Formats: sequence, structure tokens, C-alpha cells
Amino acid sequence: MSNLLHRLRAFLSGGRPASFAVSPASLAVMGRQIASTQDVEYDCDDVYRLLDQLVEAIERGEDEAPWIPLIRAHLERCPDCQAEFIALLRAIKPSQA
Amino acid sequence: MAPSRSRENTEWLSDLASRGEAQEAALADLRATLVSGLRRGLTAWLEPGSPQLEALAEEASQEALVRILSRLDTFEGRSRFTTWAYKVAIRIALTDLRRKQWQDVSLDQMLEGPTDQGLEAAVIDPGGGPETTVEQQDMLDRIGRILREELTGRQFAIMEAVALRGVPMEALAQKMGMERNALYKMMHDARLKLKRRLAREGLDLGEVMATFEGSNSWAGHVVRGEGG
Repeated sequence: MSNLLHRLRAFLSGGRPASFAVSPASLAVMGRQIASTQDVEYDCDDVYRLLDQLVEAIERGEDEAPWIPLIRAHLERCPDCQAEFIALLRAIKPSQA
Repeated sequence: MAPSRSRENTEWLSDLASRGEAQEAALADLRATLVSGLRRGLTAWLEPGSPQLEALAEEASQEALVRILSRLDTFEGRSRFTTWAYKVAIRIALTDLRRKQWQDVSLDQMLEGPTDQGLEAAVIDPGGGPETTVEQQDMLDRIGRILREELTGRQFAIMEAVALRGVPMEALAQKMGMERNALYKMMHDARLKLKRRLAREGLDLGEVMATFEGSNSWAGHVVRGEGG
């Protein structure tokens, strides 16, 4: 019966019945991400808006702003925003034009 | 070329918003500042001093100048103006870089993981006893079933590509004809749905993770779904 429901759900969702493999490596990484998922999270636009303030706060050694944990949580999940964060940290280092 | 002089935020804004020589000088200085910042910022992806890095720094800086000028009123002054400007240029440069790097890769290829065929018989934890292996196997079976029931194969492949293999969301989103932010929100919805389902099933993810702590051969083991 559960198999039938599963197939019906897949049909209704417009997809084929799911038959993908789940490796322990996937479970390890995705499990952590699922476990740390919050009802409300910063998305890429939120992070982009605050990224310049974040790198300067880090530069000053300040990390008590209430939004910083929300950004850090996003950066752990989003390789694109993480790359922008790393690049911006490097960009601001030597010059203060 | 180094900027001719340093400016405070208000000077950047007034000079860039002005006309004539003051604006031209500010644009030239900002362009030099951006090129210099991108040379430093992009070295994690491109060889320092390479023609690729130089070209990208120049092109992205030029495009960033146009974007910055059109959005001066959105700068809130909560950071240095140059940091804000770097942020704009870096978004442009990395987006361009990702698109070039992934332009010849199809969506299906992005979603394909490493070949898992033939690994089904691998042992999860060869160092552990039979009970550990059975326990881990049982947990994997339960979670695998939930994932397959809650997600389509395509949704799972997208999450796995980003979380496990670091496929850029920008590149994935482009192939899917959507914005990166929309893709992130879609993935957040899927994670939230899975978290709630696991909770309904009485599965504590902390315990799940603990079940696999110390296992040193996760990457080599595959749990097959129905019809694998």
C-alpha cells in the first residue's frame, strides 16, 4: 500500500517514482544541513546586502551583531555566497582606499 | 594604476554623482581600486598575474562601475564605500567566472554524481562490529526511504550537487532558468520539509549523525532505493 501511495505521490508531483540512491556521504553532509535548518533563514539576497558589513566587522574583530550567526549559517550551506565572502575578505585586506 | 587619492564615503558619493572632471577622476580612481581589489580577491580561483585574472578584473570592474553609478542611492553608508563597491564587482566577476566554467556542462551532467555502480556491497564501517553495521544500515534505509518519499529524484540531485560536490548554485540556477536566490529558497523549503518529516517519524538528526560518527568509509557506500 505504501508503495502505491509513493507512486501516486510521484505521479501527482509530475515526476517519475523516486528511485535514487542515498549514499552515506550524502547523508552526512545533507543530514547536518537538514538538522541545522531553521524556519526562517537568510537567503542569498539577505547575505549579499550585509556582506560588506560582515567583512568589516570581522576585520575589526567584532562578531556580536545579531545577524552574524544567520549569515554564517547561510555561508555554510551556500557555496556561491561563501565564495563571495572569501573574495571580499581578500579584496579589503591590504588597501583601505 | 593606483588611485590618485583616498576619499571618505561622502566624497566618493559626491564626486561620482557630480559631472565633469571630479566625476571622471573619481571613476578612474574607483576603477583602479576595483581592479586592484579583484586581483586580490580572485586569487582563490585564478592564478595571480594570469591573463585570465587580469582580463576578468578589468571587465568586471568596468561593468561594476556602470552598476555602481546606477545604484549610488542604495549605498547606506554602513561600510566603507570601497568595500561596498568591491562587493558589487566581486558578484559580477564570480558570476561571470562560474558561467564560463560551467557553460559547456549540461544540467544533467551537473546533477550526476560520481559513479556509484558496483559499490553497493561496500561495508559502512569495516572497523565496527556486525551490530554497528546493521544499525547504520537500518538508519540509512529509514532516512533513504524518507528522502525518496519527500523529494523527487531531481530535487535530491540538486541538493546533493550543491551540498556534497559544491556545484555553484548560480550555474545550476541559470541552467534551470531561475534566479539563484529562488533556488536557495527552494532548497530551504525542501530541507524544512525533511526536518519536519524526520521529527514526525521520531528520528532525532543528532542521533542519526551520532550513529555514523567515526565511520571512515561513508563515501564508498551506497544504499539503493527501490528499483535502484
